[in-house]
Amino acid sequence: MSIQAALKPPAFMHSEYGPPLQPHVSETLGSLISVPLTDFFPDFAAPIATGAADRLEAELERVRAETRASLAKVDMSKITVDDTVNILASEHGFGLMGGWPYAEMIKTIREVVIERTCCRKINLRLAIYRGFREADEVAEHFGFNEAFEGRVKGLGPFDQGVEVQTAIGPMYLIKRAFDGTKFIHAYYDDPREMYFNRLLYKSFKSFCMSYARYETRSVYHSMFGNRSGSIIPRALFDSDFIQSRYTFSSVLCTTPMGVTGVDATTDLYAIDRRITRSHLSTYGRMQRLFAEIKDCVAIWDGGRWGYYLHGGGLIFGTLLTNHSDAFDLDQPVVAGFMQSPTAPVNFSRNKNLRGVVVNQAWVGAGIPYVTMPFTTPMYIVGEEQAQLWRDDPTNPMLMDRAKVVDTLEQGIAMACEKGETDKLLVFDGSYGHLTCSRSLADHLLARAPGVDRQVRETLLPKWLAQRGLG
Amino acid sequence: MAVIKLVADYEVEPCIGCKLCDIVCPSGAIRMEERKPQIDDALCIGCGRCVDRCPEDIMWMKERDDKLIVTVTADEVPGEAVDALLLKAGIDPAISVCVCTLTSASEIARSVIKGATTLEEVCAMTGMRSGCGIYCVAPALRLLEAAGRDMTPPGQHRWYPSTLSLYDLSDEVRAKYPDAFIDEDRAVFDPDHKYGPLPKENV
Repeated sequence: MSIQAALKPPAFMHSEYGPPLQPHVSETLGSLISVPLTDFFPDFAAPIATGAADRLEAELERVRAETRASLAKVDMSKITVDDTVNILASEHGFGLMGGWPYAEMIKTIREVVIERTCCRKINLRLAIYRGFREADEVAEHFGFNEAFEGRVKGLGPFDQGVEVQTAIGPMYLIKRAFDGTKFIHAYYDDPREMYFNRLLYKSFKSFCMSYARYETRSVYHSMFGNRSGSIIPRALFDSDFIQSRYTFSSVLCTTPMGVTGVDATTDLYAIDRRITRSHLSTYGRMQRLFAEIKDCVAIWDGGRWGYYLHGGGLIFGTLLTNHSDAFDLDQPVVAGFMQSPTAPVNFSRNKNLRGVVVNQAWVGAGIPYVTMPFTTPMYIVGEEQAQLWRDDPTNPMLMDRAKVVDTLEQGIAMACEKGETDKLLVFDGSYGHLTCSRSLADHLLARAPGVDRQVRETLLPKWLAQRGLG
Repeated sequence: MAVIKLVADYEVEPCIGCKLCDIVCPSGAIRMEERKPQIDDALCIGCGRCVDRCPEDIMWMKERDDKLIVTVTADEVPGEAVDALLLKAGIDPAISVCVCTLTSASEIARSVIKGATTLEEVCAMTGMRSGCGIYCVAPALRLLEAAGRDMTPPGQHRWYPSTLSLYDLSDEVRAKYPDAFIDEDRAVFDPDHKYGPLPKENV
């Protein structure tokens, strides 16, 4: 596959929290193209799944097989027939490639645990963030109620907590996540907010976010720096409370190309080391490729929050913050709520991002973009969508700055004119390729060999050494 | 400062009195009376969390007749007291504690100096937590603790007393997690070595 007409992204779950579904940019803008990531980095391995609608069944069959193969090597002796086991899932996994690969891994975990241990009390606990009704939407959309025979419940940061003693002091997890006798950490490895987590023990992050009360999430984000915050999920994971209930982890593995496999073991630290190595090489090159973009307009066109929509396997937030190398741990802060008095940063220092056009995305509610339109012009397509933003208390000032446009084409034209660029980059949930304008594709294709060389020869050895993986 | 445009309302008859709206209300605007929520419009900061949580789907947000502006300005409390509280808590005055309303740490401290004794009162006075409701919580709780307020968690699960910061970690913890960049981040966020563990004598 090489450059071709823009590809349709994976279908996403409709939510009552999102705007009415709109036609995708890739369907309506004939001038866009999709560039396979292997045109940039030829050694990127082929994935087993990308969420593409026309081959989804076959892809899910491979995910199922990979999950079974990986679980076959896992010691499940901690689970007895009398246990009640919670499979803990985190919502972002359902935003990856339409969510079906993650859902398939979760369903397969249940099947295998029953086969291996004869334990049938397997619950699914869906950690959500956007709203209290989101878990019900996820359970229905992905068929979890049937697959788990009704043993499905959602949980969120405002639900009842449980105090956990850790080496760094008491922390608060969500009681419902741990209302079984044992649990399985069913995760995905998308580096996601690499500007926050810095790929430092990222595999543990759920323990201070998805599974945690809002107080613990606040400590993680607001009371520590990007780097030092990594102590919190580890302290929780290492606590007696967690270790007495933990059985094993199963992680859906990705690269910017898509799903590459499943990594399951009792040793989460080992999984984390493997993932970190892989990510620094693959996501690291894409991150640095994004840093070569000197001017562009981004288009949000998916079924999640704008920050977390993928383009070429990287979330939009990566573009927003790539004024700094997120993986370089010598850089103390990339983005964060805790600010250095000598070098304050915010989320929108990347001046190369000249504008954002919102075709469709969830409004903030829960995710603040407050400062973004101060520095990056935003264009919201359609009055109906604009009203959702006006009513969003998380971003009370956003619509004071953002402009409402009647059509996508109008928004793009205005953004490009103001931003003095003709380069477009689409965040529509796609992996394996970048959907963009021809001008941006040409620019990135010219820059990719240099990025490849820089990462291999200079940055990757440094990133690995900084994490004790040299 | 926060400008509150919306206020919560609900349909009385089908309400089952589950109390979830009361529990998730960040500003103490909802109190149950005879198993029905009573909404104090003056305290509602328009977050909509009660609407989202209501299992019967009988709550909604409506436009306020007049926008409610909540703030504690610098001229309402002595600046020296605010500075001293922030220093004790180890929180930089200039940071936006609430990243949704961009409410500064100084304003949160001012609300505590002015008399807020609980997290709910801080929220009602500043509009903090009217957005995501999450990331601002620990700094606000730490300021309350630094001011010697009672940190006994309220009933149900409104909040838990979590105030840990980078400056609280012991030598033992730093030795256990030597690759956690504790000293390096301390040098970044507190280059003048102004901050330390929160004194516990007032708590």
